[in-house]
Amino acid sequence: MATTAPTPARPPAPPADREPALEVHELRRSYGTGDAAFEAVRGVDLTVERGTIVALLGTNGAGKTSTMEVIEGLAAPSAGSVRVFGLDPITDRAEVRRRTGVVLQESGFSGDLTVMETLVMEAATVTDPRPVAEVLALVDLDHRAGTRVLSLSGGERRRLDLACALLCRPELLMLDEPTTGLDPESRRRVWDLIRGLRADGNAVLLTTHYLEEAEELADRIAIMHAGRIVREGTIAEVVAHQPSTVRYVTPDGETTTLETDDLQTTLTELLSWAAENDVRLDRLDARSASLESTFLALAQAPEGDLR
Amino acid sequence: MTTTTPTVRSERSAAMRRTTGLTRANALLMLRNRLNLAYAFVLPLLPMAFLLFGDRGDVGAAGMALTSTVVMAVLFPVFYNVLSMTVTRRDELVLKRIRTGETRDLELLTSLALPGVVVAMIVGVVAIPLALALGAPMPVNPALFVLAVLVAALTFAVLAFWTAAWTKNAEAAQITSMPVILLALVGQVAVSFPEEVRRWADLTPGAAITDLVRSSWLGLEGTSTDPTLDFGSTWAAAGQPLLVLAAWAALGVWLTARSMRWEPRS
Repeated sequence: MATTAPTPARPPAPPADREPALEVHELRRSYGTGDAAFEAVRGVDLTVERGTIVALLGTNGAGKTSTMEVIEGLAAPSAGSVRVFGLDPITDRAEVRRRTGVVLQESGFSGDLTVMETLVMEAATVTDPRPVAEVLALVDLDHRAGTRVLSLSGGERRRLDLACALLCRPELLMLDEPTTGLDPESRRRVWDLIRGLRADGNAVLLTTHYLEEAEELADRIAIMHAGRIVREGTIAEVVAHQPSTVRYVTPDGETTTLETDDLQTTLTELLSWAAENDVRLDRLDARSASLESTFLALAQAPEGDLR
Repeated sequence: MTTTTPTVRSERSAAMRRTTGLTRANALLMLRNRLNLAYAFVLPLLPMAFLLFGDRGDVGAAGMALTSTVVMAVLFPVFYNVLSMTVTRRDELVLKRIRTGETRDLELLTSLALPGVVVAMIVGVVAIPLALALGAPMPVNPALFVLAVLVAALTFAVLAFWTAAWTKNAEAAQITSMPVILLALVGQVAVSFPEEVRRWADLTPGAAITDLVRSSWLGLEGTSTDPTLDFGSTWAAAGQPLLVLAAWAALGVWLTARSMRWEPRS
């Protein structure tokens, strides 16, 4: 009798609510065609899990906004894929848009509408909007509800941007330089708001030029350079590739800089040597690798060195 | 029997809600601009003054007044207003931001066109008693007259979107609007063109509007100055000009779909 080997059962697909909020795979985006073609995004891989904040960093022209526009569904990728909650932002547009909020790099409002009128209009375009008054209070603009948008300060406009993005109770919030133009106090208030969203289990992808903002908020950091992500991980993982530095001036006036992967051992050995030889180390300065030093090193590195 | 599923119904009502919300905001912005408002309501009705200079019931004066009113109504509240709103909202990045949400492109464009189209319809409806009060003859087919205003308004709204697609900014709209303005005005002077030229001019949207207004209100066929059309025959006479407008609208939709830009050129 012929027997057939039992077909191994396929592992069940993960429940929909366990899908990452965002998965980007081998994403490419080109502008123009033929000889004039320019590839702004050159194979980006990125994942944003639910309940986390990921900061996408990079110098101007690194490809952050080009990447964000594809993720937001405003442009189609030249190659690769984007999945938001397992869905394609272009073919599953309606479902994706219901669950995502976007703050673009620059505000886009009609100056002659008031803050309230803008949000009422915006709420009419959302399937299940939060009450406008609640959103106004969230971004601290309730006292400006009757003010025309053209009279708002840059920071207030930015908060109105955020208010529009929050109307749909987004499970994934995409913020392109959300605190540019905000004063320090407003910036901290926005940070608290973003942390609150994460605490509620929502995911946030943000780009920023403020490294302090990334350090304050992000669970993971991705650094883009020349269209690629050249470092990705927690802050500790990202800076781990960067050496710590010890700098001092010897008695003969010479400045010496040491780079080390083990700052404590190097510093202990240096101080022991100085004590044994009775050498005074002027302006002694020991620094662990920081996000800033890592970012600057990556931004200044020739493109070929980062592949 | 066809049935509409609850999902389709709710998607339709959501689309309606989004379009209405955006239209309300665009109408509010239009109403807040007093100069725009004057251009939209007053300018199209000014040609009615032609009726003051002719005898009561004079077909020539009525023809001039009514066609000018309808052409102005589709040029100012519709064409120029929709063009300028679209370009301004694009420059302000409003279009780009709204497109990040649930709103679909067609809803966004509809919301930009509707305030102007509604104003043109109001002007068209107000023109009827106003023209009668100023001595115009009774319209032969008022329903066709209103239909003509509606189709013309929709056609010029579509032409406004196509013009917006290649207009760099709001200032440039003063120049880029010229081709469509010429297409609208050529119908008014086409009567004096030689036959061979007039045959081509009849294919412009402006000439189609002129034919529709003259036949629907005054019962005039072609360039004739003797009213010969009755209610029934005005529908038959409207076939070609309505087709001309529909063809321009279809061309405008095709060109807009190919070339629409939603954010300023970088």
